Amino acid sequence: MGLFEFVIRRVILMIPTLVGVILLIFAVTQMFTPQQRATLYITNEKQMKNIDGIIRQYHLDESILVQFGGWFSQLLQGNLGFSKSGGGPVLEVMVRKLPATFELVIFSIPITILLGVYLGVQSAVNRDKPVDHVTRTVSIIGWSLPSFWLGIMLIAIFFSGLGWFPPERTGTDVFNYITLSGKWQHYTGLLTIDGLLNGQLWISLDVLKHMILPTITLVTIQIALIVRVMRSSMLESLGKGYVTAARAKGLSNSEVINRHARRNALIPTMTVAGLLTAGVITGVTITETVFNIDGVGRWAAQAAMAVDIPAVLGFALFTGIVYVFANLIVDLLYAYVDPRIRLG
Amino acid sequence: MSIGYRLREFKSGIRPWLNELKFTLKKIRKSPLSMVGTAIIIFFAVIAIFAPILAPPVDSRDPYSIFLDGYGPTPRPPGSEILDSYIRGTGWTTHYFGTEEGQIDIYYGCIWGARTAFSIGVLVVVISLAIGLITGSISGFYGGIIDELLMRFTDIILAFPGLVFAMALVIALPPQWPLDLGVMGIGIAIVVAIGVVGFLLKLPGIWRFLLGLAGVAAFAGLFVWGLGSPPVWVLRLNLNNLDKVLIALALVGWPGYTRVIRGEVLRVRQEDYVEAAKAVGCSDFRIILRHILPNTIYPVIIMASLDIGAIVLTAAALSFLGIGAPVGYADWGQMISFARNWVWAGKENPWQFWYTFTIPGLFIFLFVLGWNLLGDAFRDILDPTLRRR
Repeated sequence: MGLFEFVIRRVILMIPTLVGVILLIFAVTQMFTPQQRATLYITNEKQMKNIDGIIRQYHLDESILVQFGGWFSQLLQGNLGFSKSGGGPVLEVMVRKLPATFELVIFSIPITILLGVYLGVQSAVNRDKPVDHVTRTVSIIGWSLPSFWLGIMLIAIFFSGLGWFPPERTGTDVFNYITLSGKWQHYTGLLTIDGLLNGQLWISLDVLKHMILPTITLVTIQIALIVRVMRSSMLESLGKGYVTAARAKGLSNSEVINRHARRNALIPTMTVAGLLTAGVITGVTITETVFNIDGVGRWAAQAAMAVDIPAVLGFALFTGIVYVFANLIVDLLYAYVDPRIRLG
Repeated sequence: MSIGYRLREFKSGIRPWLNELKFTLKKIRKSPLSMVGTAIIIFFAVIAIFAPILAPPVDSRDPYSIFLDGYGPTPRPPGSEILDSYIRGTGWTTHYFGTEEGQIDIYYGCIWGARTAFSIGVLVVVISLAIGLITGSISGFYGGIIDELLMRFTDIILAFPGLVFAMALVIALPPQWPLDLGVMGIGIAIVVAIGVVGFLLKLPGIWRFLLGLAGVAAFAGLFVWGLGSPPVWVLRLNLNNLDKVLIALALVGWPGYTRVIRGEVLRVRQEDYVEAAKAVGCSDFRIILRHILPNTIYPVIIMASLDIGAIVLTAAALSFLGIGAPVGYADWGQMISFARNWVWAGKENPWQFWYTFTIPGLFIFLFVLGWNLLGDAFRDILDPTLRRR
């Protein structure tokens, strides 16, 4: 089986899960009353007054099958309902708020993986030495810290106390420049990159400064997973015959570790990268709330508190789909790196 | 075939379990980190058990709601005096850990919060483990289409991050859940009674068959009657938000256990003693219950109980986001959400209100750390490739 055939097979295998995710969200909608459910079909504020009309139009008090047809066709048209807390249709609000979240994610995931792999390797190579004990203890502590409490403590220390890194996404002067000056051009929505494209380096730097604490929070909480898997797979790979052979050839220690042992140990670590996505989505929901960053995570949390049903279900559907696709990508990379998977 | 014989059989059945437990405990004693974890958990267990003595409730009918000392918005520091004369009358004199905004006593909340944490953690683990045991052993033992369906279903639930799906369920669950306990209770009682009678008497085949048939008929009759007639004893379960969190976390948590148990069952199913039991003519139920589960369940139960830390963390996060415990309930996560406005207290003394977030946060952190330290040690101890070397 070649790589191409594997890709096709894996994509086809993804479809049942994707359908299941959609069906499960539909099942959750059935737990609401028809009046509450009607908000899922609304596209603008005017329709909020015409709930009975919506119930009749989409047959919300009829059998489940009839309802599913209506709901699914709305879903295909990209109508996820109207979010009170976001002040707009769910999809529109989500698209508007996604860049802030995405910016956090693309900074924290690479740091988590690189630092986690490094620490895991160091821990395994120096097994049962002080480095190992310190790394393991610190990662267990990070894993046990409630993310919201860690965020608050970081704000207390680095903002209240030292005055270094403020919360929120930007400072007030950046916010004013972006919203009021009229000179700001939106390119990607990622403020660090847009700052550079606009030729305003100070904006990028300001946004980076605001992202340090949320990134520390996300990395601290996620890193234990990577360190643990990397450590155990590195230990396993250090005991293998090819490592002994490499040593017997007279290769230096760093060459044995970096080129022989670590390469093979990285493969199992890749599988948990999918789990990392779920962790990061959870983490982002809380981190954005604590640091008051206007992204999808904070919006979902506020929506849940305000019983804004379309927003919460839309967010849940979104995370489910992201997770399914993240796993697909991880599996494809896995097959690309490890020929045993696609040939076996 | 007396009851005494059955008891002896039961005793010899659990002996290997006890030996395993002894061995595990010996390993635990040797590892310093797991001893720290054990000490932390014992500390919290003591707090939870002696909560009524450590923090006598002001209103004994509702001990879980934290008492309010007035309504002032500004938190007051540890050691401040209690002003409310009614509360003073019950023997309280000082706010040992200070107060949150709205004059919620932090000490009281932290002590009773330990009970909340234990009850959420234990209940969620018990419920999801029970579902996981049933579905996992069926899936692993029978394989085929049942297995395929159950596994695809777990895939779907596991595709959602736990916190997000729990959020959706918490707002979707109705505040009142009508359960007809009359019909359900009688039906379950009849089936259980018939099962126990059949188990103890060891009737010959035809009688057991008739008894089983009678049980099914009785249950079906009750069910039909229950559908047609007005409800006998409807328990309108009033779900407060904390109950919803509990149900949501259990619904999110079971697929993980199903998968682990299924894997273990698949491993054991190939063993010779299972083949032997099949050859002798044991029923599937007996093979699963007496031969497969005793050989798989032990590590799973321990791993599941160590999940309590992670479950409490998610529950605390939901409370922090404002969709968990009802306002004023003794819950650590909620106390931190009260403290959010007081993280920065002006230029002169920015840490003036440090106690509002530091103290409840330390309680959650230590509680979870205790379980995780123990869990980490167990993972090494229970690893079959490393065990008994």
